[in-house]
Amino acid sequence: MKLNKCLKHALNMVLHSPLRSWLTIIGIVIGVGSVIAIVSIGEGMEQSLTEQLDDLGMDLITITPGFSRGGDMRFGPDREGGQAAEGQATDDETVLGRTDVQALRGLSDIELIDTQIRGNVDAAYLGKSGSVSLTGVEQKVWSQITTSEIRDGRMLDSADQNVIVIGGGLADNFFDRPLGINKVITIEDSAFRIVGILDDQSNSIIMPLQMAYQILDDKEKDVYDSIIVKIKYEDDLDAVVEKIENKLMITRHVTENDKDFTVTSSKQTNEMRGEMMSSVSAFLTAIAAVSLLVGSVGISNTMFTSVLEKTKEIGIMKAIGARNRDILTIFLFHAGLIGLAGGIIGVIFGIILSGVMPSLMGGLPMARGGTIVSVDIIIIALSVSVLVGIIAGFVPAYQGSKLRPVDALRYE
Amino acid sequence: MTKDQNLPENENGVLLHLEDVWKIYQMGEVEVPALKGVTVEIKKSDFVAIIGASGSGKSTMMNLIGCLDIPSKGRILLKNQDISQLSESDLATFRGKTIGFIFQQYNLIPTMTAFENVMLPLEFQEIDDKIASKRAKEILAFLGLADKIHHRPSQLSGGQQQRVSIARCLVTDPEIILADEPTGALDSVTGKNIIEMLHRFWREEGKTIIMVTHDQNLAKYANTTIELKDGEIIRIQENEVNEI
Repeated sequence: MKLNKCLKHALNMVLHSPLRSWLTIIGIVIGVGSVIAIVSIGEGMEQSLTEQLDDLGMDLITITPGFSRGGDMRFGPDREGGQAAEGQATDDETVLGRTDVQALRGLSDIELIDTQIRGNVDAAYLGKSGSVSLTGVEQKVWSQITTSEIRDGRMLDSADQNVIVIGGGLADNFFDRPLGINKVITIEDSAFRIVGILDDQSNSIIMPLQMAYQILDDKEKDVYDSIIVKIKYEDDLDAVVEKIENKLMITRHVTENDKDFTVTSSKQTNEMRGEMMSSVSAFLTAIAAVSLLVGSVGISNTMFTSVLEKTKEIGIMKAIGARNRDILTIFLFHAGLIGLAGGIIGVIFGIILSGVMPSLMGGLPMARGGTIVSVDIIIIALSVSVLVGIIAGFVPAYQGSKLRPVDALRYE
Repeated sequence: MTKDQNLPENENGVLLHLEDVWKIYQMGEVEVPALKGVTVEIKKSDFVAIIGASGSGKSTMMNLIGCLDIPSKGRILLKNQDISQLSESDLATFRGKTIGFIFQQYNLIPTMTAFENVMLPLEFQEIDDKIASKRAKEILAFLGLADKIHHRPSQLSGGQQQRVSIARCLVTDPEIILADEPTGALDSVTGKNIIEMLHRFWREEGKTIIMVTHDQNLAKYANTTIELKDGEIIRIQENEVNEI
């Protein structure tokens, strides 16, 4: 029998399948649906990462005190004060200060150097208050280094005092009323005027470094939480990272083994986050694949039943000239079609699921990129479900094809 | 209609030859012989009725003749071809082209229309769709089912279903028609119509017909009656065929 005829008969069987077959399809639907949903989140994350990568700029290097081998996620067992000092300058010896900045200025590859401190502060506006993150920056440099865009107003200027730039989220949603340019908010009992609003959703406040030292009174003057440098040529990124490391090791009198600072480039950060996220999404996909496996067992079961039900028909077909391989092909197509039907419904289910997922997951950073259902994943999902159906249906189909016509005809 | 198999027959016109054929079924520990050394020759254009009480082995003999089963011992030569020597797939093809089956319970595929049921054997033979469809429609029309071709078996009466199954049998233009109690499930008038139809194919088309029945009245339409008892042939009788 020609393949198209086999397909026609298989389709006929599926269309006349009892409810049970359709229930079987649900197993595949759930499997495929969840894979699609999870992968779509994964792709969403990936895309937002790529965008961030573009945003962040490939020419920025961040130096933080303390050493955690953040770049490749391996934590040295003998690194005291490694993780602890991450990002926050404390009273420990491991701080970044003026001498480090001086050392960096000696490097010709560096174009700009920004020094920052960070902390959490109480901000109040019209009686409503809350804790927000504050970053003190070298205002003139920051304006040139930052990848944030200004939505309203302007960046900080070198002459600025008592003025701040705030994140879009803080401006729009944080207080009872939206904040605008020239509004004054109270930060730790001091009044600051807003001169710029960033085009993002963050709740952060950016202010001149010297002002920040006054507000964040636990910070020691000329001790920085991080130093951010912009290099002259993007292509030199890795080389400059190494130069900075070597230079600082010399000036800080440390070696590779007791290094007390960390140099990361935006590229490294993103690679690391990308790795993390892809392993998270691989894990979730593996879980979803289990339900696909369960679905395939369901198909197998249904195919056994179907072959049993159709035993008499197999006998009739053999009597009128069907060969074993005709029967085998028809039943394999049958199983494949169940897989395909499950796949198609699963893809639709998955697309719906991935549409509502971001709102279900709320503000989880994972879902921030939204979800993307690519054509690739749809094609892969459909092929996998057909394949799963065929594999699951093989044994029953083979058994059916091997039935002796005389026995099959006698079956009632 | 074309003859697809053109193997030479015996000089004396023997189409089917059973040579000391045994069929033994294993029932647990016990061996039950259903056929015990049957030897018989059926010539081309014979109308053979195999009769016998139930349990006499006529169904077993029918299955063997129809290549649905192979003998435990002995040889079956169909058109000089030893059927136990054929591979599964060759046997299926050979069966499909040479033998047409008519069953007591019609054995139509319930999910297919009359037309699709009749098309099925041609699809297994991979005959071109246009030719197949034309032939199927012609035969259904010939059997008075032109207006029923898109009905499913469940929408047809017993007689109509049996005519569909006859159409399915004839559509491949088989040399041998094997009919297993073809009127068994039908009322007497319809049954008579069916048997007369078979008789006409024999008389006018020169088909070889082998019919299994327990009904002595049907046997009189055949020119040869083979009577079985307890797995053995007890009588082979040539009949004067009644003109209908």
